[in-house]
Amino acid sequence: MILAQLLVNGVALGAAYALVALGFVLVLNATGAVNFAQGDMVMAGGFLAVALAGLIPAPGFVLLPLVMALMALLGLAVSLTAYLPLRNRPPVSVFISTIAIGIILQNGATVLFGPEPKAAPPLFDGGTLALAGLQVSEQSLAVTGTAALLIAGQYWLFSHTQLGRRLRATAQDPDMARACGIPVTTMIALTFALGAALAGAAGLLLSNQFFVTPTAGGGLILKAYIAVTIGGWGSLAGAVAGALLIATFETVISYSLSYTAATAALYLALLAILAVRPQGLFGEAARRRA
Amino acid sequence: MPPWKKTLLTATLAATLGYAASAVAAEVDIPVLVPVTGFLALEGTSQRNGAVLAIRHAAEGLQVHSEVIDTGTSPEGAVTALERASGDKPLAVAASMLGTQMLAMLPLADEYGIPLVTVSGTASITERGNPWVFRFFPGDDVTKTAHARYVVEELGKRRPAVIYQTTAYGQSGQAHLRDAFAKLGVQPVFEEAVDPGVRDMLPVLTKAMAANPDVLVLHLHSGPTALLVRQAAASAAGIPIVAGSAMHQPSTAALLEPAELKGVCAETSASPVSGGTPELEKFTAEYRTSFNTDPDAFALGQYDGIAMVLDAASKGAATPEAIRDVLAQSTYRGLAMTYRSDGKGNMAHSASIVCYDGSSRIPAIVKRYEDLPTQ
Repeated sequence: MILAQLLVNGVALGAAYALVALGFVLVLNATGAVNFAQGDMVMAGGFLAVALAGLIPAPGFVLLPLVMALMALLGLAVSLTAYLPLRNRPPVSVFISTIAIGIILQNGATVLFGPEPKAAPPLFDGGTLALAGLQVSEQSLAVTGTAALLIAGQYWLFSHTQLGRRLRATAQDPDMARACGIPVTTMIALTFALGAALAGAAGLLLSNQFFVTPTAGGGLILKAYIAVTIGGWGSLAGAVAGALLIATFETVISYSLSYTAATAALYLALLAILAVRPQGLFGEAARRRA
Repeated sequence: MPPWKKTLLTATLAATLGYAASAVAAEVDIPVLVPVTGFLALEGTSQRNGAVLAIRHAAEGLQVHSEVIDTGTSPEGAVTALERASGDKPLAVAASMLGTQMLAMLPLADEYGIPLVTVSGTASITERGNPWVFRFFPGDDVTKTAHARYVVEELGKRRPAVIYQTTAYGQSGQAHLRDAFAKLGVQPVFEEAVDPGVRDMLPVLTKAMAANPDVLVLHLHSGPTALLVRQAAASAAGIPIVAGSAMHQPSTAALLEPAELKGVCAETSASPVSGGTPELEKFTAEYRTSFNTDPDAFALGQYDGIAMVLDAASKGAATPEAIRDVLAQSTYRGLAMTYRSDGKGNMAHSASIVCYDGSSRIPAIVKRYEDLPTQ
């Protein structure tokens, strides 16, 4: 029974991590660059939710679209300042510029909100439900459902819309896409916006149960990086699978071993996957690893 | 020149020089070198606020020049800040509470002869024979003794489950807790370290409860403490929780509903929001007005430390050496407790236990331990 309880918790946590990893991999595919500010954008989304909750006393599901829209604007700003001016420079320039953006976001959050941990409102209610003998947090269910909807929405966008096809074309071969008349720069900016919107959603979902602090982004970017490496560099499905695997280690495996041993086991699993299947569980786009 | 003019000129000159001399003597420099960004920003900001408020309360006639420099969280940042501040010949420095930064600053303080006044809990900073460091916050040897004694002597519990952090802070606390419990003849039934980045506390809580403890003893940072207390409340663990000092911080309590806090206690050096004396309540009110937040024990400890320095300066200690001697040899009655050095620079020897009754986020002081021996 306890394992079932831990699995439920793990799925909810993994679903939120998946949104972080998806935003990360979207930008990676579109630009070939690692956006090291992705974790700090999740943090920014969490604080944005806290701030909006102070202005609009509404549950999280009302705030979610607003947070995603505002974070999309932040993503556009990041693309305009940290990526596009440096796109023709060596990749390390973009790494550094996104790290700088992350530090600016961290310090900005400290100045604006203070260093204290904060909690955003729950999506619907903060209670618990008794389901088949399990005490399931309503927030955990809501997080899982919301993340699943957002991931499905992204899948639909990329597979069934003209915009999605343009975004995919830009990610696969920007030069060819440009030759076909696709506005590559606009597509890249939109990808940053989409990635930031997903980060904002993850920030809102995580910051109710697990709080948010200005320095929370560092741990999240590490998890996103590991998830994408496990799942397959560039694979959207792999990012989701990798995120769920990390959450499983944090909940189920840490119950069986200990947190410290579970962390060690996660990295051993990562090494084993890289040794046996270097392209990750779900294959790898033909790109240079950062 | 007529004699009366000579006399007037001489008197004016003497008065001017005398005023200037007294003005020079009354001007002191006390920089505040603390981490206000990075992972220790919460505690560092409390330190800064406490120091700033103490400087604002300096005695009349004492002109205090003070600059706040963010040390970040790297040892290099702290050393650079101290190098920069040393140019102004400071009387003393409000120094970072981050142990690794303090360890990096100690040789420099020794070389330049600058008293470091801190609330760092890292035991080793006062174990290196450096005469320039003064800690206005009880170390783990004091607080964990109080922590364990409250669990065993007051609650009558003998099967504690100890959950601590994997960080240096957590390891130190756990080691001292284990020693303190051993002296009381108690062996924890469960001990496990938790990484600060862990979000789901159900696994460790489930394992702890499987060991059939009669009390949960926590030594965690602010966020993890709140997560575990919330998880324990949701799981209806049904046993008391006695947490580390992070739980007393108003910002930690703010993350939880009052009902989730029912029956939760914490050790701390002081709890300004709990009140106790008119002076303490005045401090808390002014702190809230000035910084729009509640003070914690770190703010109060740093306030008391700088207040002791300023008290010494107002009584004639005009050099860093004189300040060092006063801090090393005097007794000072601060707002949190009475401070005196144990010969190593450990100034604080008292700890309190606070408990929440479930109706508010303001804890009540339920037990005070005075003059606990330092190791």
